[in-house]
Amino acid sequence: MTSGNGTSDVTKVDQSINDQLVPSEIRLSHSRDLLTVTFAENTYELSAEYLRVYSPSAEVQGHSEAERKLQFGKKMVLITDVEPVGNYAVRIQFSDGHKTGFYSWVYLHKLGSEHGELWPTYLAELEEAGQSR
Amino acid sequence: MAGLTKEKILDALKSIEFEGGDNIVDRGLVSEVVIANGKVYFALDAGNEDPQKLEPYCRKAEDVVGALDDVSSVGVTITAERQKSNGSQANGHANGQANGESKSQAGGGPQGGGGQQAAAGQAIPGVRHVIAVASGKGGVGKSTTSVNIAMGLKAQGLNVGILDADVYGPSMPRLLGLNEEPQTGPNNEIIALEAYGVKVMSMGFMVAEGTPVVWRGPMVMSALGQMINQVTWAPLDVLVIDMPPGTGDVQLTIAQQTPLSGAVIVSTPQDLALIDARKGINMFAQVNIPILGLVENMSYFLCPSCGERSDIFGHGGAKEEALKIGADFLGQIPLHMDIRETSDAGRPIVASNPESAEAQAYLEIAAKIWASLDSQGEDTRVAAPKIVIE
Repeated sequence: MTSGNGTSDVTKVDQSINDQLVPSEIRLSHSRDLLTVTFAENTYELSAEYLRVYSPSAEVQGHSEAERKLQFGKKMVLITDVEPVGNYAVRIQFSDGHKTGFYSWVYLHKLGSEHGELWPTYLAELEEAGQSR
Repeated sequence: MAGLTKEKILDALKSIEFEGGDNIVDRGLVSEVVIANGKVYFALDAGNEDPQKLEPYCRKAEDVVGALDDVSSVGVTITAERQKSNGSQANGHANGQANGESKSQAGGGPQGGGGQQAAAGQAIPGVRHVIAVASGKGGVGKSTTSVNIAMGLKAQGLNVGILDADVYGPSMPRLLGLNEEPQTGPNNEIIALEAYGVKVMSMGFMVAEGTPVVWRGPMVMSALGQMINQVTWAPLDVLVIDMPPGTGDVQLTIAQQTPLSGAVIVSTPQDLALIDARKGINMFAQVNIPILGLVENMSYFLCPSCGERSDIFGHGGAKEEALKIGADFLGQIPLHMDIRETSDAGRPIVASNPESAEAQAYLEIAAKIWASLDSQGEDTRVAAPKIVIE
């Protein structure tokens, strides 16, 4: 998220703590297909599929943009567990066995606030690759 | 819906034979089964084999489960993400009684081979605050500062422990004059040693001084997990973790396994050390751990014969840095022969000579740290979301 070189970064990251970019609640729906993340100003409803295909795990993201693996066929995926990791993230386990993604508060906020761009981007990538959800 | 259970689904799936005579369930191909409102989801795990091979089984499984009563839809996915060695685990799931609660999966979930504790991010029972003393660079006096801060907290009447997280270069045995091996309690817990009324645990108690620990990362992580979770720390007001230098595996593991109340950064005033201190600060910021403040160590040198003050590493660098990032500046510790001597002799200066000016400097720092911890209140966690699983 941050490359961490130089002081401007320090100030920036530090503010994210001060701004309390920490959700007050993370709720997994009874149907297991929706995660509702409540931040101070906004509440985001994130589908299991969306979270799964944008998993921050290295298994998905690789070590660079070029290594990123397009996820597909996850339309039916469900969330089987959500557990806290330290002060900064949750680990989400999915019904397809994927469980190596640590979703930090900052990342959840990004997924929520940028859903309008990220989701169409994913759909376009699928189409280009000739895959289906 | 009451009639639909995981067992029924697994029983039905057992009718599907896999090559070699086994059925797909006993073969360990079926992942955790999830039932929600008549919808059934599970995955077939291809392991290292070609996922294409599972396609026909996938369709058969859909048909078999779809034919069961109360099933409104079936979703089967094929995964190739789990490692082959997990096959037996999946088998265990299938044969063991399914509890009908998806939560049950967590317990048996195989870890990625690191031997880590599953209890990621759980607080240590009976420990109110965990703080990390860290620096970017080695050799800036982290361990000496940790010990004396711990002694300073103890002097305030608190119950204090020190965890030496530097597995490769443990300092606590020497700094506290301890060299016995810790005893094991009846429930396999490790009984912490004690020095000057402070509980202590260090890798150095397990190996002789001068013997290197030649371990790869996963071993270190597992040893650290034990030192955090299996040691008789409770009851403690503060557990001080003396971190190894740098921003690597150990630092991340601690940040992930223990909700730290905060971190104290130690640096000399030298630019070279400050650059790395900044990295340490950034690391804690990334994992949402508040910086309790900066300590400037080896701040200045008072000549014992003429009394002249020399700013060997420059002056005020850590204070400026603290101002820059909006963190507290906790204090300066001079470069003093007495601190070095008492440290090497296993008698930390705050415990052995509390009246000295140097000890007073540490006591002030400890008081500031406690004031800042105490203001966080009983809730030792930094703001954390409530996790609700409906």
